[in-house]
Amino acid sequence: MKLENMFKKTRISNGESGGRRGRTAKPEVPQGLLRKCNKCGAAIIAEDVKNGYYICPKCGGYFRVHAYRRIQMVADEGSFEEWDGSLMGENPMDYRGYPEKLSAVQGKTGLREAVVTGKCRINGYEAVIGVCDGRFLMASMGWAVGEKITRAVERATEEKLPVILFACSGGARMQEGITSLMQMAKTSAALKRHSDAGLLYISVLTEPTTGGVTASFAMLGDVILAEPGALIGFAGPRVIEQTIRQKLPKGFQRAEFLLEHGFVDAIVERENLKRTLTKILKLHEKKERFSIETAKINGSEEIKEQNRPELTSLTGQGSEPTLSLAPWERVQASRKADRPSGSTYIRGLFTDFIEFHGDRKYGDDPAVIGGVAAFHGIPVTVIAQEKGSGTKENIYRNFGMPMPEGYRKALRLMKQAEKFRRPVICFVDTPGAFCGIEAEERGQGAAIAENLMEMAGLTVPVLTVVTGEGGSGGALALAAGDQVWMLENAVYSILSPEGFSSILWKDSSKAKEAAEVMKLTAADLYRQKIIEKIIPEPKALKEETLSYVTDILDEEITDFLKQYEKMPEEELLKRRYERFRKF
Amino acid sequence: MIKKVLIANRGEIAVRIIRACREMGIETVAVYSEADREALHTQLADESICIGPAPSSHSYLSMENIISATIVSGADAIHPGFGFLSENSRFAELCEQCNITFIGPPSQVIASLGNKQAAKNTMAAAGVPVIPGSKKAVYSVEEGMAEADEIGYPVIIKAALGGGGKGMRTADCAAEFAESFRTAQKEAQMAFGDNTMYIEHFVRNPRHIEFQILADKKGNVIHLGERDCSVQRNHQKMIEESPCEVISDRLRKKMGEAAVKAAKACGYVNAGTIEFLLDRDGSFYFMEMNTRIQVEHPVTEWVTGVDLVKEQIRIASGMPLSFKQKDIHITGHAIECRINAENPSKGFRPSPGTITDMYFPGGKGIRIDSAVYSGYTVQPYYDSMIAKLIVWAKNREEAIRKMQSALGEIIIEGIDTNVDYQYEILNNPDFLEGNTDVGFIERMEGRGKEA
Repeated sequence: MKLENMFKKTRISNGESGGRRGRTAKPEVPQGLLRKCNKCGAAIIAEDVKNGYYICPKCGGYFRVHAYRRIQMVADEGSFEEWDGSLMGENPMDYRGYPEKLSAVQGKTGLREAVVTGKCRINGYEAVIGVCDGRFLMASMGWAVGEKITRAVERATEEKLPVILFACSGGARMQEGITSLMQMAKTSAALKRHSDAGLLYISVLTEPTTGGVTASFAMLGDVILAEPGALIGFAGPRVIEQTIRQKLPKGFQRAEFLLEHGFVDAIVERENLKRTLTKILKLHEKKERFSIETAKINGSEEIKEQNRPELTSLTGQGSEPTLSLAPWERVQASRKADRPSGSTYIRGLFTDFIEFHGDRKYGDDPAVIGGVAAFHGIPVTVIAQEKGSGTKENIYRNFGMPMPEGYRKALRLMKQAEKFRRPVICFVDTPGAFCGIEAEERGQGAAIAENLMEMAGLTVPVLTVVTGEGGSGGALALAAGDQVWMLENAVYSILSPEGFSSILWKDSSKAKEAAEVMKLTAADLYRQKIIEKIIPEPKALKEETLSYVTDILDEEITDFLKQYEKMPEEELLKRRYERFRKF
Repeated sequence: MIKKVLIANRGEIAVRIIRACREMGIETVAVYSEADREALHTQLADESICIGPAPSSHSYLSMENIISATIVSGADAIHPGFGFLSENSRFAELCEQCNITFIGPPSQVIASLGNKQAAKNTMAAAGVPVIPGSKKAVYSVEEGMAEADEIGYPVIIKAALGGGGKGMRTADCAAEFAESFRTAQKEAQMAFGDNTMYIEHFVRNPRHIEFQILADKKGNVIHLGERDCSVQRNHQKMIEESPCEVISDRLRKKMGEAAVKAAKACGYVNAGTIEFLLDRDGSFYFMEMNTRIQVEHPVTEWVTGVDLVKEQIRIASGMPLSFKQKDIHITGHAIECRINAENPSKGFRPSPGTITDMYFPGGKGIRIDSAVYSGYTVQPYYDSMIAKLIVWAKNREEAIRKMQSALGEIIIEGIDTNVDYQYEILNNPDFLEGNTDVGFIERMEGRGKEA
């Protein structure tokens, strides 16, 4: 049954229609109560947007945030102290109309220039902060912007403070010509001095970050964060389209695109930004050197003692492992689908882990996870090969077979660890470095080689735990440090048993026999002094029984750090050199 | 007087409100989602405005869209019905800011009653009985015992961060207390990482009794008797009746006075409902106040003769109540059954789809509030209630017979409904005897399984 226009409508007895006559105050939306989202076009309640980090409640789109409001969002209340608030530029090219334009914008925005700098506290952590304000000539960088940033960075270097810069800029300020171009070099040089002083710089990229700002301070952060969907690029999309006469793909130059291409450490939602910044600042607190002695070791010691098997007979003294398995059975155990993957160890052993993505050169390799975390309160750099769990994630993570960019990301993070004087802990579990056309094109061999060379010179302790498969050079590229430990059923070899039998015996089906002769088990390698420790495993190692292993690792890592924290750099490097020199 | 009302709702309640407006000579504006183009309320209203796509978060819950529709249509008031935005203080506040009459209480009253603990404190301060409980957090058995003695057994021990029954135990006597407390606290520690506990008096299988009140802007408050809503399944009411079989005139007077006191304590205006738990010994405790018209309002309308929706509109227009407490008399007995598009044999799974054929009963003492018709498609996006069958007779026994008869006549083809399930309840010996409490359905279903 169709009901359209079937029913009779209300007849108004007094003949007048509508409710507005005779009322003093008629229904209307007061000025400013509702706004229209410039992204999805929906009507939104202005107050909700203000209370909700300037995010459209309908489409989730991000609105641009004025500099002072941004500071309000991240800084502790009342902690911001502005620097160089009255600094203004001149008209270096005597460009006609520029001074008038400046004063007009100043009048409209109440700002003197396009960046606000100063010092603040973020959940108690002191930091120098600089925020671009897009309302001011698209926050383009002229002399004043470059000067304010440079002064802020210089002062941060002097006061040994971290720097956080929020980029939101169209690029260089055309009206100031070549003076603007020089700001790129000037700000970058100031950041180099800051970095050389071992200080932290966090760059936060917001919509839009383009041109000369991208090509200078914005891309120089130790940590580069971006807001979801932010446009980030050197040349603007319109310019590129006109130059190459092609339509650009969807998502091109967006934050997610940059993350995928290895240039951004993480995308952080606005509501989580303060928490994330706090976490990063906390893990980079300026200390002379890490110290496990002073770190608070929590957790109940008695419980750990109970669970702890007779490790001493195993580790350090090299008796036979607890489980009697044939080498091939250990190969199979090391490959089991339910064996805990790299990220599980990170979760089980560390707190406050923040993943940092990308090699800053080409891409972000999902087969390698890395970042900074806390081990009993002390910051460490953690790097793990990750196979993923479940077919879908296995494919996404390429079954734990890293690309060159995975090794380059690992090296970048190790160098970062060196800068901030924190130890590096790696977890190896890979069938091997990926072999494929793309891997060769991007220099798989070169990437592994560079890691081996650079790791030889890293001035912080490097520990590697082989948790599953230690596949050849793909494993060694994360295992050229001070100590290598293996889980009882982990394997580590020049090649897979399948590959070995196929090369030497021209028969890949003899993998089992190959495993017997390859000396790839933890016990074999311990005897050959390839590794320093064997970590015993429960009968069936899976996520539910992982604490058996992590409880032991927890104590062993603590001991490792105690042993290495006091070691002078020369001694550390000498021992590491000899560790490999002896073979 | 309000001249044009926008109904910010759908389904039978929207239809109910449109009808009341029409009888009062008030123009109506329906709002509808893209899925509700064919809905009865869309077609029945004088004007209809589409406010967004099917999911309610984008349509019936979109404050901005509804406010815009109100302004565009020239309506001067919004009736929110129940559910959706009806108890959203932010929405009521927006209406106030836009000079739109919100047919309901002022926004700050909604807000203050929305905070359950604060509301209880307000009521306790005003002398309305609330469930006795520990005023401060309890951490040890000894502290707990002392509190429990003061509160009176049985008691329930609850985790401060509790939820889903975790960290919750009862104790019938002091001998059971220590054991229950330790178990609950251990569970709380494991589940929420917190061992802060609270202790409350425990009412085992109470009746859910609610009092309808009306309050005008001049400060007059009256009550219209109670509704017994004890027949509930997983906290979903199924059958409501008025009056309650076990409430004497004396108790009604006492509870009614408490309800009026509660409404006055929070400065209430418009129609509202005060929920009480009624224990077997006749003691009752304030639970919460609902700041909207309720699904089960027809049973009250029938035993009092008051049209609650019309009263809501009159009150919102600033008119005083046209009757006093002494004018309200409870006459006869009314029962309401909710008819839902769901399949009781499949765990009450919703059963959307097109109604191919249908027949509803009629006759003396039978009222159907519904928004479905033959050919209507029940949408999967919204509540599954498609109709309310309300009967009235001079006493409970006759009303039950009338309801049995009426349920037996309902035909709804094309979708599954709970009509047969309701019919079972109406023939259950305990129900017939008026022996119902909030544990009734559980017991009935449990027995069914054993048999």
